[in-house]
Amino acid sequence: MNLNKHDAGTEMEMDMTPMIDVVFLLIIFFMIITDMTQQDLEELELPIAVEAVEDKPDPKEVRPVINILWSGKMIVKRQEYYDPETPDEYKQVSEYLSDQSRQMREKRKRDGEKPEVMESVPDGPLLLRADENTPFHYIQKLMEICGKQGIQIWKIQLAAAQPEEEG
Amino acid sequence: MSMLKQIAEEEQKLEMTPMIDVTFLLLIFFMCTIKFKTLEGKLSAYLPKDVGVNTSEAEPKEKVEISVVLLSEGAKVHPKTGAPWDGSSPRFEYKGRQVEYRVGPQKFADLTKVRQRLEKLFQADEERPATIDARPGTVYSDVVQVLDATIQAGFTDITFTGSYQK
Repeated sequence: MNLNKHDAGTEMEMDMTPMIDVVFLLIIFFMIITDMTQQDLEELELPIAVEAVEDKPDPKEVRPVINILWSGKMIVKRQEYYDPETPDEYKQVSEYLSDQSRQMREKRKRDGEKPEVMESVPDGPLLLRADENTPFHYIQKLMEICGKQGIQIWKIQLAAAQPEEEG
Repeated sequence: MSMLKQIAEEEQKLEMTPMIDVTFLLLIFFMCTIKFKTLEGKLSAYLPKDVGVNTSEAEPKEKVEISVVLLSEGAKVHPKTGAPWDGSSPRFEYKGRQVEYRVGPQKFADLTKVRQRLEKLFQADEERPATIDARPGTVYSDVVQVLDATIQAGFTDITFTGSYQK
């Protein structure tokens, strides 16, 4: 029964260090997780453009993103959709774009737009991120696919790096 | 005597755990932040609408046609050392690359001249659309630079032409 007795002489100081450690760890963990949601952006060397506006994507909006490496490989969400060495007539890319286009139109339907507007073309843009040395004919090919029946994406955003500020 | 010595030795032990915790934390933090450095932006443009449904009314304005023509491709070099690129590094740069820009019938070698010309054209008619025609051999950065200059000149309605490869 000695256990129940509280010794008033010893000070009961709480050690805060482990708690703070764990809290920081959690903060960092969630920072990484939120960063993971940006995995549709491949690491590329983008050309520099003065007029590039900051990209603030709306998470609710459907926006297809296609990354193109300088070799012409097209990557969507870390997955290769087209490789120039094994050409498939851009079948995978076309399927991806028509799927995205359908989702865009469905979203507009849910948002309650007038049917005659809705039937026409999806209003959302396509974000194209290409390496600065990518031959432009790959991009032109993608643009052509965008105009095909069933896709009809007509807005495009080209990714570019903003120039670093001097001083 | 020996008891005292033992106690003194025990107290001298350094508590390593918090230090390691903090070190790992800093390590993870810097690992995470290191790739946020590059700023990224976008340039908006429109695609050719000769296929499919065309929602816009008939084009009343004559387009300003800007062509990007490759004169010489240049040599692929290593971006840091400048040595010829042998495929070992993931990136390369072009050295001695020459590109010519054509605005209507006029030819330019320099982008600032292109911009000045485009500014004049834009001031004459602010509603005028522009098309960018990238000839075979041009790369993404050539086109983005022209697009950038066109936007700087004030144009908002910019489209691209179709590809040359059939």
